[in-house]
Amino acid sequence: MKRVRILVIDDEASVTRGISLNLEALGSYEVRQENDPRNAIATARAFMPDLILLDVMMPHIDGSDLARELRADPLLKRVPVIFLTALLTTRETKGHEVRVAGWNYLAKPVDLAELTRAIESHL
Amino acid sequence: MGALVTAIGRPSWHASLLEWLGRQGRASVAAGSLALVTAIGAVDYGTGSEVSVTLLYLMPVALGAWAGGRGVGVGMAGASALTWLGAGLLEPGAGGDPLVLAWNASTLAGMFALVALALAALRQSKANLEAAVAQRTATLQEEVLQRRRAEVRLQQVNADLHSTQLQLIEAAKMEAVGRMAAGVAHEVKNPLMTLGMGAGYFLQRRPAHADEAALLQDMKQAVGRASHIINGLLDFARPRPRQLAPADLNEVVDDALKLVRHQLATQKVTVQRQLQPGLPPLPLDRVRMEHVIVNLLTNAAQAMPGGGTVTVRTSMHAGGDRPPDQAPQIRLDIEDTGEGIPPEHLGRVFDPFFTTKPLGEGTGLGLSIVHRIVQIHGGGVVLANLSSGGACATVTFRSS
Repeated sequence: MKRVRILVIDDEASVTRGISLNLEALGSYEVRQENDPRNAIATARAFMPDLILLDVMMPHIDGSDLARELRADPLLKRVPVIFLTALLTTRETKGHEVRVAGWNYLAKPVDLAELTRAIESHL
Repeated sequence: MGALVTAIGRPSWHASLLEWLGRQGRASVAAGSLALVTAIGAVDYGTGSEVSVTLLYLMPVALGAWAGGRGVGVGMAGASALTWLGAGLLEPGAGGDPLVLAWNASTLAGMFALVALALAALRQSKANLEAAVAQRTATLQEEVLQRRRAEVRLQQVNADLHSTQLQLIEAAKMEAVGRMAAGVAHEVKNPLMTLGMGAGYFLQRRPAHADEAALLQDMKQAVGRASHIINGLLDFARPRPRQLAPADLNEVVDDALKLVRHQLATQKVTVQRQLQPGLPPLPLDRVRMEHVIVNLLTNAAQAMPGGGTVTVRTSMHAGGDRPPDQAPQIRLDIEDTGEGIPPEHLGRVFDPFFTTKPLGEGTGLGLSIVHRIVQIHGGGVVLANLSSGGACATVTFRSS
């Protein structure tokens, strides 16, 4: 059975590692980590993920700008993106993924069950 | 005449008399003075040109000049001299030379006329002086009035400035707190996520010992609690745009009660619901107002660790503490049967980070957030002790 490919883009390696270990332990996900947003487009083109988990506040390139670049890329424009943000509260997102201005958001720290639920809803 | 009697009865009767005379018409004064001249002439005729009687003629002259002005005074001088001459010529046994009498009469007329002119001028000067004083007094009074108005305006401007300054300080403070909160959120939530994910990962691997699993669960809960505190800080610091829509306060109260029903039951807290039907709709951000009510209910429940009763009451008061033409006030009271709030804490309960709960159990932001949300709605919130024991949180709104 083909595993779902997830690309996690976050400048914090501990965060990408945590997400990667948890999702891969479930068996149905193949996760690629990218901690340098400047390489994100190239990594995504090489990996061709089914879904991208993207941090908002990153050095060099802001998550929102990166998301726009992904949308503009002919190969990646259809790949769903879920933002992971520290700036929203779980009460604002009502404990689950929310859509703000056309983008999907999850509030950090996100729980594994919530993360998988959000991923599955976009596949 | 009655006024004249009253005037004479006063201690400063002469001043009052002169004042009264001054108010009489010129014709009345002339008639009165002429009558006095006639009366003095009669006395003069009877006494035989005594010098003392001659001096009496000064009375109508002075009266006429003072009360009737220059013309009446000079007229009385002439009338007095003529009367004096008549009395001198006609009195019994008069043997004087008529020419000498006439010469004396003309001299008398001249002297009386001079007295009349002097008195009339004096009276005019007095009137001019009084008018100038009255005008100056009126000007001064107007200046005093204007100065008072200016003072009131200045006080108002000062009060406005003070209020604006406080608002600016508050806004600057909140902006700083907001920046800090955003920074803290970013710096703390990422490590929390790492910890949470780490604990979750090891839990997935099914630890061999139950203690290890319990420890990992504790770690996940600790992450949840820390996250809750950071979220509270973000909530407090960030005034999100209001989403006001007309809402029935009673419905919002019921929705909030549904959210905490289970928690209250677990804490052996009974809810008494006393909601006044037919309240006018209020412009509310329902989610935020639910948050306020849930917070106040939770607070009330925490004030009764052994259980008790929470009374939730809504009511409408015409005008409230404002004038009767103001919109009615809608009130929400949440009362508990706990031990009340220590008086020394009453003034600080809405301060950010103020808490009486043991370390690690409260963020100290709950009531600050309540205060802030109510403030954003243009309402007010107070927490007070009840005379019957317990405390009451009162939220007030102005119905539009």
